[in-house]
Amino acid sequence: MANVIINRVREFLQSYPPFSFLDDQALEVVATSVEIRFFAQHEYLFEQGEPAQDCFFVLKEGEIHLTQSIDGRQEIYEKCDEGDVFGVMALMGRRPYRLNAQAAENSLVYAIPVQIFESILKENNRVALYFAAGFASGQVVVRNDLSKSQHARSILGSPTKDIGLLLFTGQSDVQIKQQVLTCQVGESCHTAALQMAERGVGSIIIVDESKLPLGIITDKDLRNRLVAKKLPYETPVEQIMSSPLTTMKPNANFPDLYLTMVRQKLHHLIFTEDGTAETPVVGIISDHDILLAQGNSPAVLTHGLMNTWEVKEMAKIRNRAERLLKYYLENEVSMDFVSNIISEINDLIIQRAIEISRRELQGKYSEEVKKVKFCFISLGSEGREEQLLRTDLDNALVYEDLDKETEELVRPYLLELTQSVIDILLACGFHPCPAEMMANNSKWCQPLSQWKKYFTDWISNPTEESLIHSAIFFDFRPIYGQKKLSEAMAKHIYQEIEGKSIFLNFLAKNAIMNPAPLGFFRNFVVEKSGEHRDKFDIKMRAMMPLTDIGRLLVLSHKMVDVNNTFKRFEKLAEVEPRNKEIFLEAAKAYEILMRIRAIEGLKSDSTGRYIEPSKLGKLQRQLLKNAFYPIDELQALLRVRFQLDYFKG
Amino acid sequence: MKNWWKKIWEEEITKTAFVQEYENKFRSKTNPDTPISQLTFCVLDTETTGLNVNKDYILSFGALKVKNYQIQLNNLLEIYVEAPLVKSEALSVHEIVNKEGAKELSSFVKQSLSYVGNHIIVGHHIGFDLQMLQKTYKPFGLKKIYNKTVDTLELAVRLEKGYHYNPSFIKSEEYSLDTLCQRYNIPLHDRHTASGDAMLTALLFMKLLKSAENKGITKYSHL
Repeated sequence: MANVIINRVREFLQSYPPFSFLDDQALEVVATSVEIRFFAQHEYLFEQGEPAQDCFFVLKEGEIHLTQSIDGRQEIYEKCDEGDVFGVMALMGRRPYRLNAQAAENSLVYAIPVQIFESILKENNRVALYFAAGFASGQVVVRNDLSKSQHARSILGSPTKDIGLLLFTGQSDVQIKQQVLTCQVGESCHTAALQMAERGVGSIIIVDESKLPLGIITDKDLRNRLVAKKLPYETPVEQIMSSPLTTMKPNANFPDLYLTMVRQKLHHLIFTEDGTAETPVVGIISDHDILLAQGNSPAVLTHGLMNTWEVKEMAKIRNRAERLLKYYLENEVSMDFVSNIISEINDLIIQRAIEISRRELQGKYSEEVKKVKFCFISLGSEGREEQLLRTDLDNALVYEDLDKETEELVRPYLLELTQSVIDILLACGFHPCPAEMMANNSKWCQPLSQWKKYFTDWISNPTEESLIHSAIFFDFRPIYGQKKLSEAMAKHIYQEIEGKSIFLNFLAKNAIMNPAPLGFFRNFVVEKSGEHRDKFDIKMRAMMPLTDIGRLLVLSHKMVDVNNTFKRFEKLAEVEPRNKEIFLEAAKAYEILMRIRAIEGLKSDSTGRYIEPSKLGKLQRQLLKNAFYPIDELQALLRVRFQLDYFKG
Repeated sequence: MKNWWKKIWEEEITKTAFVQEYENKFRSKTNPDTPISQLTFCVLDTETTGLNVNKDYILSFGALKVKNYQIQLNNLLEIYVEAPLVKSEALSVHEIVNKEGAKELSSFVKQSLSYVGNHIIVGHHIGFDLQMLQKTYKPFGLKKIYNKTVDTLELAVRLEKGYHYNPSFIKSEEYSLDTLCQRYNIPLHDRHTASGDAMLTALLFMKLLKSAENKGITKYSHL
């Protein structure tokens, strides 16, 4: 019969990582080896520079401050509360302590002998990761740790795996069919259909004499291109095949190939030896295979969106996408994949809304008017492909320059069109932009020349207002219509910046306005009053600084077509190898922040912007803290690069 | 098996080897100037069938050691004691109390005496536990428990009311283990198990001892 005291200790440890990762047997061993220590207020557990003790600590009750002696003063590095693990130097190579640990109030501490824990550390990967990733209090967060901590969290966060999740984590359960039915060019459609019938498959790959893939024929092709067209069965296969093929390497990871299929709306994906059509076919996968493996999938949702003209149905599908999002987030699917899928769905909804609106206005305007070339652009977070939740809509419309007379006829059409589009989007659950930065606002439904004027004005007169505008309008992305118009806008922006580098200094100054929320370890910088009192504004305090910095640096490098903040940083890492590490860290940090915000938003049915630090789990909180470091480093980098200490904007 | 319980009331008893061993530990006296941080305290609690020292007996015993404000969990003692064979009225009760794994009386005495050794015994309202133990040890040849003792109840009164305050004047409910734990912010867990109460007492004791040290009670002779 187990001792009640040991049981009590075990129960306590069990609820905190890394002990929560132990099995019952190991936990029993650890609990039995614990030494309970009492420290009165102000007493030191250990001091900076002292050799490591043969144990590390878990705070049971009370409060311990980890402090750093700097120039004779003691600065609080971190405050530990119940369940926090600290003093792990003993575990990590027995180096001397680099912090002091002092009881801020009477405290009970569990000391865990290193000897007992070392074997656990060796055998239990999750425990090892916990320490390696710097989750214990007072551990130094060094560069390159973020990806580790993120990786760690994904492993620590979801001990249970069900088969559906494997699809997205790289280990797909979807089998690539390796026996691919082929027939050579020159064969008749009848021969091809016969082979398909014999094998009971819905598709056949057409290859040339050297077995290289040229195209594909599916059941649908036979129906639409042969029988319906009354072509003879002897028609050579190349005449009705779909070509060229999209090919990939068989070892391509699942999210990649899946994304390719979703984006290009492919029904079949062909695998060749080296991924190009210049090598023989080695496998095939169909969207049907994926659907079977997945049930409720993005492919099903996009397919649904492309096949409906009902706004109600679109809203339903968007709600389902939210459930999908939740599922992805909970299961640590890569943020790149998640944001791609959700943006794809959002884009489809906008495109569909425009098409529906155009249909509705069909008979109302003359052909002349409806011919106008325009481009519907998304701004802000949707422009950056980062809008996971249906937060505020930010969008605009640019149309070709017209003579005055034509424009007078066209504008009512475009405004009615955009109004209808916005109405549909609102019906799909998006929220209106409180500042009315939407395409139905006549100010933001303008010809190219006017847009150029706007940008020129913002760039040459960097006022507070124009900086706000730049944060939203510079992250535009074409969604529907003439891409050339948005490209012309981008080109114009770079031309304008060329001569006025002072604008970048203003952007830089703006980007360092919100310092990284470091130094407030137990208590995050929280809102002091109002509705969101005691909550942490993750958007303003952590995400916006990174978004601003990413945009600025991308502009300064004149990079185009990278809108996503974490992709911007990844791109910057390529362009500036010198700062590769910090940029990659920033990319990771941003992904982490996006994820935490989206999870919070889904949980509280809000924008997720305001987070209650006290309600975050221990791992989550530590991960969030770690994500702040790159902000601080980047801001320091901007300060030097744009000479902000001398720049009085 | 000898019925040790019957011997409790007998006069002539031969001293057992482990009692002798226990007594030997007291041959050298503790230096009165030994600082508190170097003393080993044995915090214990017993669960009994009732409050009558003459009629009732020990069912379980929980103990742990505190040294320099540290408690090692691999050095705890918890013993359930076999109830004496009583054929009469209380049989049903005893069936309940005879727990699986309960130890014979002699092995309980041997183990507990060896664990307690010459350490300072600490308990809440320790007088009662001592009487129960003394009675239990008697048939094995032990005349008296020689250990220095600290009663957490008295220590609390001494710290709160002063050294010369007569403990008999206090309201007992104000100094019960429950009330004191609440007063000293010790969450109540596993009450009324010998080990659980010993743990609570130990936590209370460490807090009291620390504040005693701050008031100048720093060595063995001060206790």
